[in-house]
Amino acid sequence: MSYQITSAILGICLAAIILWLIRRDHLHSRHGFWWLLIALGVVLLGIFPTFIDKLAIFLGVNYPPTLLFIFGMGMILIKVINIDLHQSDLERKIRMLAQRMAILEEEKED
Amino acid sequence: MESSCNSVIILIPAKNEVQTVGKVITEIKSKLSATIVVIDDASTDGTINIARSAGATVLSLPFSLGAWGAIQTGLRYAAKYNFKIAITMDADGQHEADSLPILLDAIQQCDVVIGAYPQRGSLSRQVAWQIFRKLSGINLEDLTSGLRAYNNKAIELLTSKSAILLDYQDMGVLILLHTAGLQVIEVPTLMYPRSNGHSRIFNSWLAVIKYMLCTGILCLAHGNYGKKCRIK
Repeated sequence: MSYQITSAILGICLAAIILWLIRRDHLHSRHGFWWLLIALGVVLLGIFPTFIDKLAIFLGVNYPPTLLFIFGMGMILIKVINIDLHQSDLERKIRMLAQRMAILEEEKED
Repeated sequence: MESSCNSVIILIPAKNEVQTVGKVITEIKSKLSATIVVIDDASTDGTINIARSAGATVLSLPFSLGAWGAIQTGLRYAAKYNFKIAITMDADGQHEADSLPILLDAIQQCDVVIGAYPQRGSLSRQVAWQIFRKLSGINLEDLTSGLRAYNNKAIELLTSKSAILLDYQDMGVLILLHTAGLQVIEVPTLMYPRSNGHSRIFNSWLAVIKYMLCTGILCLAHGNYGKKCRIK
Protein backbone atom coordinates (compact mmCIF):
# COMPACT_ATOMS: atom_id res chain seq x y z
CA MET A 1 0.00 0.00 0.00
CA SER A 2 1.43 3.38 -0.93
CA TYR A 3 1.65 6.26 1.50
CA GLN A 4 -0.68 8.23 -0.75
CA ILE A 5 -3.49 5.81 0.01
CA THR A 6 -2.65 5.83 3.75
CA SER A 7 -2.86 9.62 4.07
CA ALA A 8 -5.94 9.77 1.84
CA ILE A 9 -7.63 7.28 4.17
CA LEU A 10 -6.51 9.36 7.21
CA GLY A 11 -7.95 12.51 5.69
CA ILE A 12 -11.23 10.85 4.76
CA CYS A 13 -11.53 9.34 8.27
CA LEU A 14 -10.94 12.81 9.77
CA ALA A 15 -13.65 14.27 7.55
CA ALA A 16 -16.02 11.44 8.45
CA ILE A 17 -15.41 11.96 12.19
CA ILE A 18 -16.09 15.70 11.85
CA LEU A 19 -19.34 15.10 9.97
CA TRP A 20 -20.35 12.51 12.54
CA LEU A 21 -19.65 14.93 15.41
CA ILE A 22 -21.77 17.62 13.74
CA ARG A 23 -24.53 15.08 13.05
CA ARG A 24 -24.51 14.04 16.71
CA ASP A 25 -24.72 17.71 17.73
CA HIS A 26 -21.39 17.58 19.58
CA LEU A 27 -19.72 20.11 17.32
CA HIS A 28 -21.01 23.46 16.13
CA SER A 29 -21.07 23.47 12.33
CA ARG A 30 -19.08 26.73 12.42
CA HIS A 31 -16.06 24.86 13.83
CA GLY A 32 -16.73 21.95 11.49
CA PHE A 33 -15.75 24.06 8.49
CA TRP A 34 -12.20 24.52 9.81
CA TRP A 35 -11.72 20.84 10.49
CA LEU A 36 -13.12 19.76 7.12
CA LEU A 37 -10.64 22.13 5.51
CA ILE A 38 -7.83 20.43 7.47
CA ALA A 39 -9.11 17.01 6.37
CA LEU A 40 -9.13 18.16 2.77
CA GLY A 41 -5.54 19.40 3.20
CA VAL A 42 -4.45 16.02 4.56
CA VAL A 43 -6.03 14.20 1.62
CA LEU A 44 -4.59 16.54 -1.01
CA LEU A 45 -1.08 16.64 0.49
CA GLY A 46 -1.18 12.87 0.90
CA ILE A 47 -2.09 12.26 -2.71
CA PHE A 48 0.17 14.98 -4.13
CA PRO A 49 3.16 15.10 -1.72
CA THR A 50 5.38 16.71 -4.36
CA PHE A 51 3.38 19.91 -3.95
CA ILE A 52 5.26 20.63 -0.70
CA ASP A 53 8.62 20.05 -2.42
CA LYS A 54 7.72 22.44 -5.23
CA LEU A 55 6.46 25.06 -2.78
CA ALA A 56 9.64 24.69 -0.70
CA ILE A 57 11.85 25.25 -3.73
CA PHE A 58 9.74 28.24 -4.72
CA LEU A 59 10.06 29.75 -1.22
CA GLY A 60 13.75 28.93 -0.93
CA VAL A 61 13.35 26.39 1.90
CA ASN A 62 16.18 23.83 1.80
CA TYR A 63 14.46 21.02 3.65
CA PRO A 64 10.81 20.75 2.51
CA PRO A 65 9.44 18.89 5.58
CA THR A 66 10.24 21.92 7.81
CA LEU A 67 7.85 23.92 5.67
CA LEU A 68 5.15 21.38 6.42
CA PHE A 69 5.82 21.56 10.17
CA ILE A 70 5.90 25.35 10.26
CA PHE A 71 2.70 25.49 8.24
CA GLY A 72 1.04 22.98 10.58
CA MET A 73 2.14 24.79 13.72
CA GLY A 74 0.99 28.09 12.25
CA MET A 75 -2.47 26.64 11.68
CA ILE A 76 -2.56 25.34 15.25
CA LEU A 77 -1.57 28.78 16.61
CA ILE A 78 -4.30 30.47 14.60
CA LYS A 79 -6.83 27.95 15.87
CA VAL A 80 -5.79 28.37 19.52
CA ILE A 81 -5.90 32.18 19.37
CA ASN A 82 -9.29 31.86 17.76
CA ILE A 83 -10.46 29.70 20.68
CA ASP A 84 -9.24 32.31 23.19
CA LEU A 85 -11.02 35.09 21.30
CA HIS A 86 -14.21 33.08 21.31
CA GLN A 87 -13.73 32.30 25.00
CA SER A 88 -13.34 36.02 25.82
CA ASP A 89 -16.49 36.79 23.91
CA LEU A 90 -18.37 34.11 25.85
CA GLU A 91 -16.98 35.43 29.15
CA ARG A 92 -18.22 38.91 28.25
CA LYS A 93 -21.67 37.57 27.45
CA ILE A 94 -21.88 35.44 30.60
CA ARG A 95 -20.88 38.37 32.82
CA MET A 96 -23.47 40.59 31.15
CA LEU A 97 -26.13 37.90 31.63
CA ALA A 98 -25.27 37.45 35.32
CA GLN A 99 -25.48 41.20 35.91
CA ARG A 100 -28.81 41.55 34.14
CA MET A 101 -30.16 38.52 35.93
CA ALA A 102 -29.25 39.97 39.34
CA ILE A 103 -31.14 43.17 38.47
CA LEU A 104 -34.16 41.31 37.09
CA GLU A 105 -34.39 39.07 40.14
CA GLU A 106 -34.40 42.06 42.44
CA GLU A 107 -37.15 43.71 40.39
CA LYS A 108 -39.24 40.57 40.48
CA GLU A 109 -39.03 40.34 44.26
CA ASP A 110 -40.21 43.94 44.70
CA MET B 1 -37.04 52.12 44.77
CA GLU B 2 -37.17 55.58 46.24
CA SER B 3 -38.65 58.48 44.34
CA SER B 4 -37.08 59.35 41.01
CA CYS B 5 -36.13 62.87 42.14
CA ASN B 6 -33.50 61.23 44.32
CA SER B 7 -30.58 61.32 41.96
CA VAL B 8 -27.81 59.75 44.04
CA ILE B 9 -27.25 56.04 44.38
CA ILE B 10 -24.69 54.44 46.71
CA LEU B 11 -23.27 51.15 45.42
CA ILE B 12 -21.65 48.74 47.85
CA PRO B 13 -20.11 45.58 46.40
CA ALA B 14 -20.01 42.92 49.13
CA LYS B 15 -18.65 39.42 49.36
CA ASN B 16 -18.92 37.73 52.72
CA GLU B 17 -18.98 41.01 54.68
CA VAL B 18 -21.63 39.98 57.21
CA GLN B 19 -19.82 41.68 60.10
CA THR B 20 -19.52 45.13 58.57
CA VAL B 21 -22.10 45.64 55.84
CA GLY B 22 -24.97 46.45 58.23
CA LYS B 23 -22.99 49.11 60.05
CA VAL B 24 -21.84 50.68 56.77
CA ILE B 25 -25.44 50.99 55.55
CA THR B 26 -26.74 52.45 58.82
CA GLU B 27 -23.95 55.01 58.84
CA ILE B 28 -24.69 56.16 55.28
CA LYS B 29 -28.40 56.43 56.10
CA SER B 30 -27.65 58.69 59.05
CA LYS B 31 -25.60 61.06 56.89
CA LEU B 32 -27.39 61.11 53.55
CA SER B 33 -30.72 60.33 51.96
CA ALA B 34 -29.86 58.25 48.93
CA THR B 35 -30.79 54.91 47.44
CA ILE B 36 -28.39 52.32 48.82
CA VAL B 37 -27.73 49.23 46.75
CA VAL B 38 -25.62 46.33 47.97
CA ILE B 39 -24.35 44.06 45.21
CA ASP B 40 -23.82 40.63 46.66
CA ASP B 41 -20.95 38.93 44.84
CA ALA B 42 -22.17 35.39 45.55
CA SER B 43 -21.64 35.56 49.32
CA THR B 44 -21.92 32.37 51.29
CA ASP B 45 -22.72 34.01 54.62
CA GLY B 46 -25.68 36.16 55.73
CA THR B 47 -24.57 39.31 53.88
CA ILE B 48 -27.78 39.45 51.82
CA ASN B 49 -30.14 39.25 54.79
CA ILE B 50 -28.18 41.74 56.89
CA ALA B 51 -28.04 44.23 54.02
CA ARG B 52 -31.78 43.84 53.34
CA SER B 53 -32.77 44.29 56.94
CA ALA B 54 -30.53 47.36 57.16
CA GLY B 55 -32.71 48.85 54.43
CA ALA B 56 -30.62 48.44 51.31
CA THR B 57 -31.72 47.13 47.93
CA VAL B 58 -29.77 43.93 47.27
CA LEU B 59 -28.70 42.74 43.83
CA SER B 60 -27.57 39.16 44.17
CA LEU B 61 -25.19 37.77 41.55
CA PRO B 62 -25.66 34.10 40.64
CA PHE B 63 -21.90 33.52 40.77
CA SER B 64 -18.91 35.62 41.76
CA LEU B 65 -17.86 38.22 39.18
CA GLY B 66 -15.21 39.87 41.34
CA ALA B 67 -15.18 43.41 42.69
CA TRP B 68 -15.51 45.17 39.35
CA GLY B 69 -18.22 42.84 38.06
CA ALA B 70 -20.25 43.60 41.18
CA ILE B 71 -19.73 47.36 40.88
CA GLN B 72 -20.69 47.23 37.21
CA THR B 73 -23.91 45.45 38.12
CA GLY B 74 -24.70 48.39 40.38
CA LEU B 75 -23.80 50.89 37.65
CA ARG B 76 -26.09 49.04 35.25
CA TYR B 77 -28.87 49.32 37.81
CA ALA B 78 -28.11 53.04 38.20
CA ALA B 79 -28.25 53.52 34.42
CA LYS B 80 -31.53 51.62 34.15
CA TYR B 81 -33.19 53.85 36.75
CA ASN B 82 -31.64 57.10 35.48
CA PHE B 83 -29.62 57.98 38.53
CA LYS B 84 -27.46 61.02 37.90
CA ILE B 85 -24.64 60.14 40.28
CA ALA B 86 -23.37 56.79 41.54
CA ILE B 87 -20.97 56.49 44.45
CA THR B 88 -19.12 53.24 45.06
CA MET B 89 -17.99 52.30 48.55
CA ASP B 90 -16.36 49.26 50.12
CA ALA B 91 -18.45 47.07 52.42
CA ASP B 92 -15.62 46.46 54.87
CA GLY B 93 -16.03 49.77 56.67
CA GLN B 94 -12.78 51.39 55.56
CA HIS B 95 -14.56 54.33 53.93
CA GLU B 96 -16.14 57.00 56.07
CA ALA B 97 -19.71 58.06 55.34
CA ASP B 98 -18.49 61.59 56.10
CA SER B 99 -16.58 61.57 52.82
CA LEU B 100 -19.78 61.26 50.76
CA PRO B 101 -20.75 64.96 50.84
CA ILE B 102 -17.17 65.87 49.81
CA LEU B 103 -17.46 63.56 46.78
CA LEU B 104 -20.93 64.84 45.89
CA ASP B 105 -19.64 68.38 46.04
CA ALA B 106 -16.66 67.64 43.79
CA ILE B 107 -18.60 65.67 41.14
CA GLN B 108 -20.44 68.86 40.12
CA GLN B 109 -17.32 70.01 38.26
CA CYS B 110 -16.12 66.79 36.65
CA ASP B 111 -17.11 63.28 35.52
CA VAL B 112 -15.42 61.11 38.13
CA VAL B 113 -14.23 61.82 41.66
CA ILE B 114 -11.86 59.49 43.50
CA GLY B 115 -11.73 59.58 47.28
CA ALA B 116 -7.99 59.22 47.69
CA TYR B 117 -5.96 58.07 50.64
CA PRO B 118 -2.60 57.25 49.06
CA GLN B 119 -0.78 56.90 52.38
CA ARG B 120 -2.39 53.52 53.02
CA GLY B 121 -0.30 51.52 50.55
CA SER B 122 2.63 49.42 51.72
CA LEU B 123 6.04 49.96 50.11
CA SER B 124 5.55 47.14 47.60
CA ARG B 125 2.19 48.54 46.61
CA GLN B 126 3.68 52.00 46.13
CA VAL B 127 6.32 50.49 43.84
CA ALA B 128 3.63 48.66 41.83
CA TRP B 129 1.56 51.84 41.51
CA GLN B 130 4.60 53.80 40.34
CA ILE B 131 5.18 51.22 37.57
CA PHE B 132 1.54 51.38 36.49
CA ARG B 133 1.65 55.20 36.49
CA LYS B 134 4.71 55.20 34.23
CA LEU B 135 3.22 52.62 31.87
CA SER B 136 -0.18 54.20 31.53
CA GLY B 137 0.72 57.87 31.87
CA ILE B 138 -2.06 58.30 34.42
CA ASN B 139 -0.84 60.45 37.29
CA LEU B 140 -3.31 59.83 40.08
CA GLU B 141 -2.22 59.43 43.69
CA ASP B 142 -4.54 56.61 44.64
CA LEU B 143 -5.04 54.13 41.81
CA THR B 144 -7.04 51.50 43.65
CA SER B 145 -9.42 53.44 45.86
CA GLY B 146 -12.89 51.90 45.91
CA LEU B 147 -14.43 55.17 47.03
CA ARG B 148 -15.47 56.88 43.81
CA ALA B 149 -18.27 59.00 42.42
CA TYR B 150 -19.37 58.70 38.79
CA ASN B 151 -21.71 61.00 36.87
CA ASN B 152 -24.13 59.70 34.22
CA LYS B 153 -21.57 60.11 31.42
CA ALA B 154 -19.12 57.90 33.28
CA ILE B 155 -21.88 55.43 34.17
CA GLU B 156 -22.82 55.09 30.52
CA LEU B 157 -19.22 54.45 29.51
CA LEU B 158 -18.54 51.96 32.31
CA THR B 159 -21.60 49.85 31.56
CA SER B 160 -20.69 49.59 27.88
CA LYS B 161 -19.33 46.47 26.21
CA SER B 162 -15.72 47.56 26.48
CA ALA B 163 -15.80 47.63 30.29
CA ILE B 164 -17.20 44.15 30.88
CA LEU B 165 -13.98 42.19 30.64
CA LEU B 166 -12.19 44.28 33.27
CA ASP B 167 -11.45 42.55 36.55
CA TYR B 168 -10.60 45.32 39.00
CA GLN B 169 -11.91 48.82 39.61
CA ASP B 170 -8.53 50.46 39.09
CA MET B 171 -6.17 50.89 36.14
CA GLY B 172 -8.41 49.37 33.49
CA VAL B 173 -11.29 51.63 34.49
CA LEU B 174 -9.04 54.70 34.71
CA ILE B 175 -7.54 54.01 31.27
CA LEU B 176 -11.03 53.61 29.79
CA LEU B 177 -12.16 56.90 31.34
CA HIS B 178 -9.05 58.65 30.09
CA THR B 179 -9.34 57.30 26.54
CA ALA B 180 -12.93 58.53 26.42
CA GLY B 181 -11.73 61.98 27.52
CA LEU B 182 -13.69 62.10 30.78
CA GLN B 183 -12.37 64.30 33.54
CA VAL B 184 -11.22 62.58 36.72
CA ILE B 185 -10.21 64.37 39.90
CA GLU B 186 -9.06 63.19 43.30
CA VAL B 187 -10.15 64.55 46.64
CA PRO B 188 -8.30 63.64 49.83
CA THR B 189 -10.37 61.53 52.22
CA LEU B 190 -9.76 59.68 55.43
CA MET B 191 -9.94 55.91 55.51
CA TYR B 192 -10.10 53.52 58.41
CA PRO B 193 -8.00 50.39 58.52
CA ARG B 194 -10.15 47.49 57.34
CA SER B 195 -12.05 46.16 60.30
CA ASN B 196 -11.80 42.54 59.16
CA GLY B 197 -8.30 43.02 57.94
CA HIS B 198 -7.93 41.68 54.40
CA SER B 199 -7.84 43.14 50.95
CA ARG B 200 -9.85 41.40 48.28
CA ILE B 201 -7.08 41.92 45.79
CA PHE B 202 -3.97 41.52 47.92
CA ASN B 203 -5.01 38.51 49.98
CA SER B 204 -2.41 36.03 48.79
CA TRP B 205 0.84 36.07 46.87
CA LEU B 206 -0.75 34.22 43.99
CA ALA B 207 -3.52 36.82 43.82
CA VAL B 208 -0.94 39.61 43.86
CA ILE B 209 0.96 38.05 40.95
CA LYS B 210 -2.26 37.56 39.00
CA TYR B 211 -3.28 41.14 39.69
CA MET B 212 0.13 42.54 38.70
CA LEU B 213 0.15 40.55 35.46
CA CYS B 214 -3.42 41.44 34.45
CA THR B 215 -2.99 45.12 35.25
CA GLY B 216 0.51 45.31 33.75
CA ILE B 217 -0.71 43.81 30.48
CA LEU B 218 -3.67 46.21 30.41
CA CYS B 219 -1.32 49.16 30.88
CA LEU B 220 1.01 47.84 28.18
CA ALA B 221 -1.82 47.38 25.71
CA HIS B 222 -3.51 50.73 26.30
CA GLY B 223 -0.74 52.89 27.71
CA ASN B 224 0.75 56.00 26.27
CA TYR B 225 4.14 55.17 27.75
CA GLY B 226 5.26 57.89 30.08
CA LYS B 227 3.43 60.70 28.34
CA LYS B 228 1.45 62.81 30.77
CA CYS B 229 -2.26 62.58 30.25
CA ARG B 230 -5.19 64.77 31.11
CA ILE B 231 -6.32 62.92 34.20
CA LYS B 232 -5.11 64.89 37.18
